[in-house]
Parts: sequence; C-alpha cells; structure tokens
Amino acid sequence: MQLIVNITVLAAIYALLACGYVLIYRVSRVMNMAHGELAMLGAYLLYTTASLFTDHPVGAIAAALVLSLTVGVLVYVALMRKMTGQMVLAAILTTIAIGILLRGVIVLIWSAAQQHPLQALKFSNPSIELIGGARISTCAALMVLATVAVYTALFVFLRFGRWGMRLRAAGQNPLLAAQRGINLNAIYALAWALSTLTGSIAGMLIALDSGLDQTMVVIGLKAFAPALVGGLDSLLGALVGAVIVASAEVLAIHYVDPLLSDVVPFLVLIAALIVRPWGLFGTREELDRV
Amino acid sequence: MGTNGAGKTTTLRAISGFLGIDDARVTEGAITFKGARIENRPPHENTRRGIVLVPERDKVFPNLTVAENLAAPVAPAAAAIERRRREALAYQFFPQLADLRHRVGGLLSGGERQMLALASGLVCEPELLLVDELSLGLAPVVVADLLRRLAEIRRQLGIAILVVEQSATVALEVADYAYVMENGRIVLDGTAERLRRHPDIQEFYLGRKSGERRSYREVKQYRRSRRWYG
Repeated sequence: MQLIVNITVLAAIYALLACGYVLIYRVSRVMNMAHGELAMLGAYLLYTTASLFTDHPVGAIAAALVLSLTVGVLVYVALMRKMTGQMVLAAILTTIAIGILLRGVIVLIWSAAQQHPLQALKFSNPSIELIGGARISTCAALMVLATVAVYTALFVFLRFGRWGMRLRAAGQNPLLAAQRGINLNAIYALAWALSTLTGSIAGMLIALDSGLDQTMVVIGLKAFAPALVGGLDSLLGALVGAVIVASAEVLAIHYVDPLLSDVVPFLVLIAALIVRPWGLFGTREELDRV
Repeated sequence: MGTNGAGKTTTLRAISGFLGIDDARVTEGAITFKGARIENRPPHENTRRGIVLVPERDKVFPNLTVAENLAAPVAPAAAAIERRRREALAYQFFPQLADLRHRVGGLLSGGERQMLALASGLVCEPELLLVDELSLGLAPVVVADLLRRLAEIRRQLGIAILVVEQSATVALEVADYAYVMENGRIVLDGTAERLRRHPDIQEFYLGRKSGERRSYREVKQYRRSRRWYG
C-alpha cells in the first residue's frame, strides 16, 4: 500500500512538471530545458513572499503564483520571442543558457543553503494515515490534488476554451494561424506563462514537502523523461509517462537500490526512445519533421 | 494567371505577410492597402486589416473540427452574438459545412477542405480575399461550383476577391479583371472580356491556334518581344 502511495505522489510530481514541457513543445516545437530551473525559481519566489507576508500565507502563495506567471511571460518576451522563427535548435540552446543563468542568479540571491518555505509560511506538514496503514504527508497529498486539478483545468481549457483552441491551432500550423488573425506572440507567451505557472506550483509543493535547494533542478530534468516517454506533444501521454516512470523508479528503489533513483527515469527514457521514439501518445509525423 | 513558377504564390504571400520561419521579406518596392504601407507586416496584422489569404496547401487545421476551424479566427474576447454572426456568414455561403461541423479538418475531401478554407477566410471578415490555386487537385465541376460561390460572395458582401487560377477558361469566365504573370512580372492585364479575345491569351492559355502553324522557335521569339517585357 505504501508503495502505491509513493508511486502516486512521485507520478504527480512528474506529471505536474512534465505538462510544462508538453505545453511549450506543443505550440512552438521548442523543448524548454530551463523548466526545472523555472520551477525552482517559483519555489524561491514563494520562500521570499512567505518571508515578506509573514502573517498572510494565502497572500504569500497568491503573490508567488502571480510572480511565476509573470516570470514565464518575461522569459518569453525578453528572450524567446527573438528566437521565434529561428532554428528550433537555437531556441533550445537559449533555454539551456537561461537555465544556467537562473541557477547562478538563484545562488547569488538566496545562497546555496537549504531553505524551508514551510517554516517561513508557518505551516506544519503532518502525515496522514490512509487505509491499509500507508502514510502520506499533507504536502504530498496536496501535490496529488494539485496535479489532478491542473490536468483537469488544462484538458478543459485546451478542449473547450477559446484561447485553448487557438493554442492548438497555432501548434498545428503557425503560418495558417497567423493568416487567420491569430497573434503568435500572444499564443507563445500564454504557453510560457502556463508552463512556468504549472512548473512553479510543482516546485513550490516539492519545496514545502522536502525543503528547497539546487537539487530541484535534477527533479526537473528527471521529469523530462515522462514527457518524452508519453510523447512530447500529448498531455495524456505526459500523465501516462509519469505513472510509468514513477512506478519504475519507486519499485527500483524499493526492491533493488535507493541509489537507482536518479538513473531509472533515464533508463526508461532510453528504452522508450529505442522502442517508440515518438512516445506513447505522440504524433509520429513530428519526428519526421525534425 | 500564369505558368508554374511565374510568381503568383509569392506575390500573394508577400501581400499577406511572412513569418520569421519563412526566411523571406519584401526587399524592394511597396505594398499599399487603403493608403497604408503594409510590406513586411506580420500576417495576423494584415488579416485584421482586411487582407485574408486562403493558401494553396495546408489551408485548414487538420486536428480541429470544422466548427473549431471556423471559430479559431474570431477573437476570444468577441461577444457571443458577434461570434454567432461570423459563424453564420460561413454557413450562409457554404451550407454543406453545417453537416460536417464535428468532423476534423484532416478527414475532409479536397472539395470540402477548400470550402472550409474559403469559409474560415470569410470568418476573418476580409475586404480583400486572396485565394491561391483555387482548383488545385479538384474536379472541374467542383471548381466551377466554387467559382460561382465566390462570385455570389462578392456580389452579396461587396468584397474584392483575387484568385490565382491555372485554368484560364474558368478564370476568365467569372473574373472582372485579370493579370497574367511570367517570370515574376505582370506581362498583361485587362478586363476579362478583353483578355479572352487577346491573341496571346487565345494561343498560350486557351490553347486555340490563331492562323497558320508556327514552330516552337518562333513562339519563343514571339514571347521575348518588347510587348511582354515592358
């Protein structure tokens, strides 16, 4: 039972991070290699707002969410917009540079020491006993709930929302979208904003549950595996990929060796790339185009 | 009208606007629309200005339904009544699309796809509708039907329509005015009526021999005459 809980929590973490990769890839074919760093930045922003509004935890969380949304738009407007229409490789290299830059800036501002936004918010994180004697921490349970909420919202938004529809249109054929009066810059900025927001929510919850330092970048990178396993342009794929990678990782830790934790996601990734390079739910033609 | 490679598509694309990915721009000359210079403006701006292109290929969103294809061009902030009015515009001229509402664009036949493309262009409320290769891959009956609808749209909405058409016979039947392009230049223009009777058009585009047989060498010589490159 505890294993299932562990898998669910890890899958939720991966899924919440992976949907950010999918969102940006789907509309602009760019793999955002700075996603882990942006998630980490979101967590640090929460730490700061928590220290500023010591008596208003809800205000602190809201402010941190708004700030991360702004960060996403800023990254697009300031850096990625100039990459629109350039080679995709150039755009990916730019995201790698953004990631390195962010890591440096974060150390400069917040130092490399571990921080605890949970204490700053004056929250406690008691573990909850579930049926069958399994335990889950409050923050981990929140993580699962947040993932369910974000995915439901994204599915509804993309399927029925008018902006979601434009997002899909721009992803399918940017030129035709522009010829139909859709401003691609607005669409891409929206994708970056949503991606950074969901990533930051994941980062904040991870930080609340287990403290905050640079190791979060590794989690962000590991979440790239489920996004690829599921197929980079599919949200459902990211969800399924997250479950597969999380199961493999938790089972390997439990039955083989805890040190495998950082290796297993990438083993699954390599296996998936060999068997089905376009991912479980990805579009096959995407691959031919690259 | 014009042969392959004459520059028809390039001209329409330049008017409608390029994206960064196209790696193209207008380097010489000016494009003006209603008194404003519009060269090298992004496509979405020109669309809002009233210039709407129905491209040659990839003219509908393959994974969006017909209804979504028609809704995507309308600004999300538009009021419900405005959205319904624009949608009605599409179904008014292409009523068959109403039955296909929930089918995805990629599963339409060539004729249906062209209808959807024209309809989604109309939804953008053009003042100038540019249609590239209306007849590409379509049966002559379908093309004739589409041209009749375009004439109807022009009559009812009072918009200008510029159609690139390979088949000169059909094009000159419905058009008011026509341009002939060769090697990136307009070599001939005039009312459709006049062009239909023009000896060059008769010979090169309508395939009617005028007078006695001529050898190919003479034809090339004739083409190079001053009149064509003025």
